[in-house]
Amino acid sequence: MNEDRRQILEMLSAGKITTDEAERLIAALEKGPAATASASDSGSKARPKYLRVMVEDQSERMGKGKTQVNVRVPMQLLRAGVRLASLIPSPALNHANEALHEQGIQLDLSQLKPENLEELVDQLADLTVDVDEEKTKVRVFCE
Amino acid sequence: MIPLMMVVGFRTYKRHGFRLWIPLFLVWLLLLPLVLVLLPVAFIALVVVRINPFRALAAGWQILTGLRGTHIEVEDGNALVLIRIF
Repeated sequence: MNEDRRQILEMLSAGKITTDEAERLIAALEKGPAATASASDSGSKARPKYLRVMVEDQSERMGKGKTQVNVRVPMQLLRAGVRLASLIPSPALNHANEALHEQGIQLDLSQLKPENLEELVDQLADLTVDVDEEKTKVRVFCE
Repeated sequence: MIPLMMVVGFRTYKRHGFRLWIPLFLVWLLLLPLVLVLLPVAFIALVVVRINPFRALAAGWQILTGLRGTHIEVEDGNALVLIRIF
């Protein structure tokens, strides 16, 4: 039992407050942390602005030393890229699709629409790829 | 807002390198007359290939403004390539 709840019960037993008042005070206490938690949840669900890719390779290759990659791509640029892709005429898209299929990539560029990307970007906020090996670390996340 | 500054960095294995600060706002000013001249030509070319020129212009503008905040840094041993746009 926490301190606030104990105080309310002591006030009730001392007759300083009625049972109704005590009930309301306890209910208010219970609502407090829940409201704070939901507020912090909505804060963390803010739309991501950047896609970040970080690679760190500590393995020695011919005495070159470590390799580091740090890339930050604005989400706005991804959206604009898709918008531009939607302007490509369908014959050109078909050629691009065929080339992708030949490379084993099953992606239909004609299905890539700006409204689909909005949904994808919203879901990306929860994405974190974390590969942690002995000498290599890869992190992909949104910020 | 369009990007106003760009940093391009380069360093070789022998640790020779440079870091160049490019004031993009001056580049945009210099390119503006050229863009104004080429815009009608691009407009006609897009109409010929059946692409909506207004949508293409909007997409181009979005790519330009979307570049702001880009950061690419690749380091391999002592060699380094850096591109920052802001």
